[in-house]
Amino acid sequence: MLHTKIINIKDKKLSIVEAEKFISSSDFGASIFFSGTVRNQNNNKSVIGITYDSHDSLVIKSFEEIYNEADKKLGIKDKAIFIEHAKGYLDLGEVSIIIAVACKHRDEAYILSRYIIEEIKKRSPIWKKEHYQNNEADWLKGNPIQYEKN
Amino acid sequence: MEKPRWASRISKRTILVIINLMKVIIELFGASRDFSDQNSLELDIENGSSIKDVRNKILDYLDINFKGNENFIKIVNSSAFCSNDNIISDNYKITNNEKIAIIPPIGGG
Repeated sequence: MLHTKIINIKDKKLSIVEAEKFISSSDFGASIFFSGTVRNQNNNKSVIGITYDSHDSLVIKSFEEIYNEADKKLGIKDKAIFIEHAKGYLDLGEVSIIIAVACKHRDEAYILSRYIIEEIKKRSPIWKKEHYQNNEADWLKGNPIQYEKN
Repeated sequence: MEKPRWASRISKRTILVIINLMKVIIELFGASRDFSDQNSLELDIENGSSIKDVRNKILDYLDINFKGNENFIKIVNSSAFCSNDNIISDNYKITNNEKIAIIPPIGGG
């Protein structure tokens, strides 16, 4: 069971309540909620906010691939996964990503949650532009995208 | 009035050059958004051009418009390209009016 979405922050905010509703089931005994938030410091600079940019369709495709790999690579068959990522300008403390997973047991829930965020970092085309106190802004360098070759 | 012979030669060549060109639309994402005020670049490329040629064409564009801004050049050289939600290789052949996306180095979460 998978839910994925890119949320334009002008329309709504990411919600842990919605994530909980989606993954909640008596089939699962372990749930993990991960959220990423905008913090006030990076590389010794005072950050006041971040603009997130996204290639929406390619991001959703990458989320689906990561979900399917959980079967093949991690052998976790029974699971519910909720992934939402924000797009647009976020203030300090606002939530940029929610990953909620539910599995039968805690071991696989921890592994799965960590696997998803690390893979998103490697291969989901999302970019951050940091805004600083002196009215400057910079796109973060990032890493070249990793992808499965066709 | 009859055209001089050189004029007819030039016009034929010009027509050939025009026929030989096609358009590609480059959708901009992340750091490459600084390449333009628009969300995309529209470039003229030769028929049969590959992603490798498009990459060079973007570098030419940056040279003209941003005096070869080194940071921008690095972005182009480290970017991937995407068509129809697939990452494509440098040998991928572009078709006329194809929309492709430039995917600079990523880092969400």
